[in-house]
Amino acid sequence: MESQVLYNTFQQEAFGIFIAIYFYLTGLSAGSFILSTLAYGFGMEKFKPIGRIGVVLATVLLVIAPLFLLFHIGMPLRAWHLFTYLNLSSPITWGSFLLILYPINCLIYAYFMFTEKNKLTKIFAFIGLPLAILVHGYTGFILAFGKARALWNTALMPILFLASAIVSGIALMILVYSIKERFFSKSKSINRDLVFSMGKLLAWAIVFDLFLVGCDLIVLSISHADAQAVAHLILFGKFSFLFLLVENFLGKIVPLFLLLIPRFRTLTTVIIASILVIIGIFFMRYVVVLGGEFIPLI
Amino acid sequence: MKKSSNKRLAMLFDLRKCIGCMSCVIACKSENDVPLGVWRSWVKKIEKGRFPDTREYFLPIVCNNCENPICVTVCPVNAGIKRPDGIVYIDPHRCIGCRYCMASCPYGVRYIHPEKKIAEKCFWCHHRVDAGLKPACVLACPTGAILFGDRNDPESEISKAIATNAVQVIKPEMGTSPQTFYIDLDIDTVEAKKEKKE
Repeated sequence: MESQVLYNTFQQEAFGIFIAIYFYLTGLSAGSFILSTLAYGFGMEKFKPIGRIGVVLATVLLVIAPLFLLFHIGMPLRAWHLFTYLNLSSPITWGSFLLILYPINCLIYAYFMFTEKNKLTKIFAFIGLPLAILVHGYTGFILAFGKARALWNTALMPILFLASAIVSGIALMILVYSIKERFFSKSKSINRDLVFSMGKLLAWAIVFDLFLVGCDLIVLSISHADAQAVAHLILFGKFSFLFLLVENFLGKIVPLFLLLIPRFRTLTTVIIASILVIIGIFFMRYVVVLGGEFIPLI
Repeated sequence: MKKSSNKRLAMLFDLRKCIGCMSCVIACKSENDVPLGVWRSWVKKIEKGRFPDTREYFLPIVCNNCENPICVTVCPVNAGIKRPDGIVYIDPHRCIGCRYCMASCPYGVRYIHPEKKIAEKCFWCHHRVDAGLKPACVLACPTGAILFGDRNDPESEISKAIATNAVQVIKPEMGTSPQTFYIDLDIDTVEAKKEKKE
């Protein structure tokens, strides 16, 4: 029916850029932690040099991340309410405990790793692994509980967030490891085999992430009216540039070719690929959070 | 309606009587001291069709005070509270302004108070209801298009109106079981969307 809106109000933005940054940082943290457990939890010796970088990054990023939550909320001095007035059906309540437990576990894990108590390190790696998955997985539930926003309200959201967390974590690790070895180590040379095997991990993580994004898009574009509208928004509308070009083409497909085609595989291309991935995943968070609430509800 | 003996407040907009005068909006603004730029209630207006076959439609929107409110489910500090009579309100001393209720509400009726920095919304003027009065918008409506009362009392005006008219709620598919009902609700009015202001 031909109709024209004469008067309506505008709703305030619920989750803004700070929440996108928060999701991005917890994702990087969880990804780094998971990668550090490859050596110290699962005993893959070749990943040993990145274990320590991983746990330091995981801890530092998870100390910074909640600061963005404090910037976001209206009453930061009331943040202690989160621990006294519990609502167990709210993902934010789950998160407020995870955000305390996970960094504490990271610190203990790091302490045992740096004092080389291998058995205890392994125990805390396996305690930390579910915590790392939950501390990022719960952010997926935060969005999935927004039941009127079609882009958020999908059971795929927690796993989609975890996949992109691992992707961005591996990429960050490649970058930080290369910088550290090149400029701050005694030998000033990078262990190429390690970087290439991390690159291979990164490539497969990107494939999995692309698969999930594809599943989400296919279902969105044939689902109910709101879902179709949001699929149109990210494919052809205001967010299409960020979603298609920055997030998926530059942030996933280009790095995938750089990593998988043997002719391109040099140290420089792996590092370029990981920089692209780190930028791309930031815009993934941005598109999901801000694109999800772009369409007015009523 | 699980416990039929309990009081369950509800609101009904008879859109056949609504003339889009916005008296309810003004009454709400002054009763609840709602700041500029935010609204607890508003009237969405659309125009349908092509001249001469055209008409304006009005949709007064307040909080639905849902039976199964998602905002209460997700509030991390239990600041969203559903009273036994069905009114959903926010404890202003407990709210931390995290905006999760705003993100999850399917009706977009919540806002952050620009100075208090906490979430607020329509709660059917519970301070007036507790004093035995009707909400401000109900009294302000010049055509008597708004009914308010106990839906579980078969003798109340609203339960008779709900029983004898075809009623509808906004977005029933959300499973929140809204308690603000409409007679003569127009689907185009609900679904018409204006582009978000940049």
